[in-house]
Amino acid sequence: MTLNTTAETETAKIARGLRERDMELLADLVERCQHRLVRYLLYLIGRRDHAEDLAQETWVRVLQRGSQYNGRQRFDPWLFAIARNLAIDYLRKKRKAVQTVSLPNDRDAMLLLPSSGPSPFEAAARSEDAIRLAGQLQTLSPLYREALLLRFQEDLSLSEIAQVLGAPVTTVTSRIYRGLAALRSVFEEGGDSPGV
Amino acid sequence: MIRLECDKRFRELIDRSFVEEVSEGERQLIHDHIRDCDGCKRYVELTARTIRGLREFTFTSEPDSNAQVREILAHHTGTMRQHNVQFKIWAAFAVALSMSFVGSALVYQMAKRLAVPMHFDTAQVQAGVLVFWLLPSFCSALCLLAAPRENGGIA
Repeated sequence: MTLNTTAETETAKIARGLRERDMELLADLVERCQHRLVRYLLYLIGRRDHAEDLAQETWVRVLQRGSQYNGRQRFDPWLFAIARNLAIDYLRKKRKAVQTVSLPNDRDAMLLLPSSGPSPFEAAARSEDAIRLAGQLQTLSPLYREALLLRFQEDLSLSEIAQVLGAPVTTVTSRIYRGLAALRSVFEEGGDSPGV
Repeated sequence: MIRLECDKRFRELIDRSFVEEVSEGERQLIHDHIRDCDGCKRYVELTARTIRGLREFTFTSEPDSNAQVREILAHHTGTMRQHNVQFKIWAAFAVALSMSFVGSALVYQMAKRLAVPMHFDTAQVQAGVLVFWLLPSFCSALCLLAAPRENGGIA
């Protein structure tokens, strides 16, 4: 109960600060979320340099549309949803020529496009198991990658992930299960060597 | 490969236990089952290992990344505040101008009625309203535009 009250107070404080364009609050939010925001964008677009640029753009959007945050939900899913929209718009601009007709969701379709450039996942892997997962992560659809990140690294609830993705919870769980199955296959095929 | 000797629904329950909330009864069911089933035990271990592996990625930020973002935000905040003040000033000017004309029309009507017993003609009333009402109120409205921005003007 106390924790809930604290959380509500916190989100209400953020909502008020965003409405008033409180620079101190914004600086605090940047300090807390920038690293995670870049990581999320990296999972989406697979390019470090573009992820940093899009993160900056996301913060500008937060500043401009801060009054739209109602303070009833946590701030993080709202932030990630903005970043996701920008990432999709960015990919759309970059790859206009790609056919997306056969895919059910036009916006999600943009994330299915393969990303180019070196893998940032191998550079970020900090254990033997992570190194083994990195290769698979790079080839995994960003739709699954982002669902896995939001669930297991950001620890967002399924309904919060659904809010970020603008998709039903059933779609979210399906993506997580499929993503997990794809990654698990790395260890299934790779023998029994224990993780570090 | 994991042998698919167990019921598919049981594997789904195991998946669910990692991703969603499961009841204590379901958790106990999994616990009891994997004591006797090596296939499912391995499935649980591999899923746990995969999730643990996912948490072992560390993306280091650019050292000045946060400072850059703060700088950009400060710049945008300044620009947005400036635009906001300008908008408020123009809005106030528009309101003052329209009130100036509406007020003048009302004063003119009132003055016309008073002019009859006081033997003023229409031209004199019009000149009086123009000099003593319309021009001063119009000038007041113009003053809003000239208000110093640093002090926030009328904003």
